Amino acid sequence: MSETAVLSIDRVSKSFGGIVAVKDLSFEVQAGQILGLMGPNGAGKTTLLNIIAGTYSPSSGRVNFCGRDVTGLPAHKLCHLGIARTYQIPQPFTSLSARQNILVATKYGGKKAAGMEHDKIFDLVNLSEQKDMLARDLATVSLKRLELARALASNPTLILLDEIAAGSTDTELPRILGMIEEIRKMGKTVVLVEHVMKVMVEAVDRIIVIDKGEKIAEGTPDEVMKDEKVIAAYFG
Amino acid sequence: MKIPRLTTLASVAVLVVLALFPVIGVSLSWLNYLFSFFIYLALATMWNLLAGYTGLICLCPAAFVGLAGYAMAIGTWVGVPFQAGLIAGAAVAVLFALLISYPVFRMKGIYFAIGTLVLPEALKAWFSFWHPVGTAYQGGGAGYAVAGVAGITLGEKYWLALAIAAASILVVHIILRARLGLGLTAIRDNENTAASAGVNIFRLKLSSFLIAALIMGIAGAIYYIHNPRIQPTSGFNISWLLLPLMATVIGGEGIEEGPIIGAAIVTFLRFLLADYGAWSLFIQGIILVVVVVVMPQGIAGLLRQVGAYRFPLRLFQAAEAKIHKT
Repeated sequence: MSETAVLSIDRVSKSFGGIVAVKDLSFEVQAGQILGLMGPNGAGKTTLLNIIAGTYSPSSGRVNFCGRDVTGLPAHKLCHLGIARTYQIPQPFTSLSARQNILVATKYGGKKAAGMEHDKIFDLVNLSEQKDMLARDLATVSLKRLELARALASNPTLILLDEIAAGSTDTELPRILGMIEEIRKMGKTVVLVEHVMKVMVEAVDRIIVIDKGEKIAEGTPDEVMKDEKVIAAYFG
Repeated sequence: MKIPRLTTLASVAVLVVLALFPVIGVSLSWLNYLFSFFIYLALATMWNLLAGYTGLICLCPAAFVGLAGYAMAIGTWVGVPFQAGLIAGAAVAVLFALLISYPVFRMKGIYFAIGTLVLPEALKAWFSFWHPVGTAYQGGGAGYAVAGVAGITLGEKYWLALAIAAASILVVHIILRARLGLGLTAIRDNENTAASAGVNIFRLKLSSFLIAALIMGIAGAIYYIHNPRIQPTSGFNISWLLLPLMATVIGGEGIEEGPIIGAAIVTFLRFLLADYGAWSLFIQGIILVVVVVVMPQGIAGLLRQVGAYRFPLRLFQAAEAKIHKT
């Protein structure tokens, strides 16, 4: 493992009963890098995020975060250490306002989260006008932004974005790309799961393609898009 | 709307007036009704903390009530004064909650509910055979009389009950405005998200579980000072669950004033229908169903929805403004 790796996945597998969702997967993410995770539906991308974020513990293999073995630690501990995530389908605290939603992350996100400026975060995700609305009254687009706001509010080192652009219209994409760029400028390391190719190609430094739980390609966006195995996985 | 300070003052005034009841000659039967109301209110407020604010459908209040009652009763048989027994009883309830927390918190949602439901039944079976102290005529199915409480006046018992009811409301009021309340609401709304936002689910659930066990235990023990005989069938009776559950659901789950309204109704029904035996439960059940169907947020929820609090709050605000001027 190189010294600057924020996240290092070492031969991680996860099976549910007889189904192997992630198989012997290894990769590293360097500090400040944006890594894209790509793969067809059911490839194991979200399972992988769940392992990194502590929702599942891996069946085998190790997960290292900032040089520390964090395999199998519970989600709240990983959040305290500096891993935050968004959910593919927004999972807000419905009875709380947008502001209270992210207040949970600042109050419980550990020492590093103290003093995060909420207004800045709301500006960044473009939710300033709706911050006093109850989460249950927000539209899906706003809920996606709230996911991002909550993830940022715990002031993480590593942020896991699960299909942040899914369901967005073409006019919204530049704004999402802008948000990702802002997050990079804050010095955060990002792992991005995405189906929207434009986001993948324009936002990330490196892509890992997984299919049926296994890594089939890795490289810059250009390299990966030309890879025959990737084309075969997507177009069969 | 900003809550005017006068609402706090009004609550204190109500508390003072209630505290004066025994000395200003309120009839004994009214003190008796209010005693029950306060006990049910304390239980319901705690049940609301668990179900309404933490998302824990806890079906074992009877375990806390019964254990605390038994601890106090058995204590009086070996020379422990009932005051100390009250504390000891609450401690036993908390200890029991702590012991079961690890296994029951591994179950979520409805499984947690079922897991807690069997506990009072198990305790009931155990206490039906247990003879820790006394002669062959005590313990087991016959239970224990609480010794040394005959000299306590109804007024004193009334004050104890009032104190625990007020304490329960105050505790929930404080929790909801503190960091703990935010965390509990987060857990109730979405456990996974709460965990990934850094909330230690187990620790927070345990906090509210232990607080509830403590107050339910004290309330239960106070009940058995007034009704000084405890048997397995009464201490671990399912009505210790049904009363707070009905009070919370009828009054409004997850709403602070819900249990107050609900406990008043449940108490009223209990005394009103006391002569009708099984019919009483039947009628209470019908009321519960009607409330759930017609006003899923309970009576307090409906009151909030129609803005019933706006007028008194405005009155208070106007009064406050006047006071500031002079």
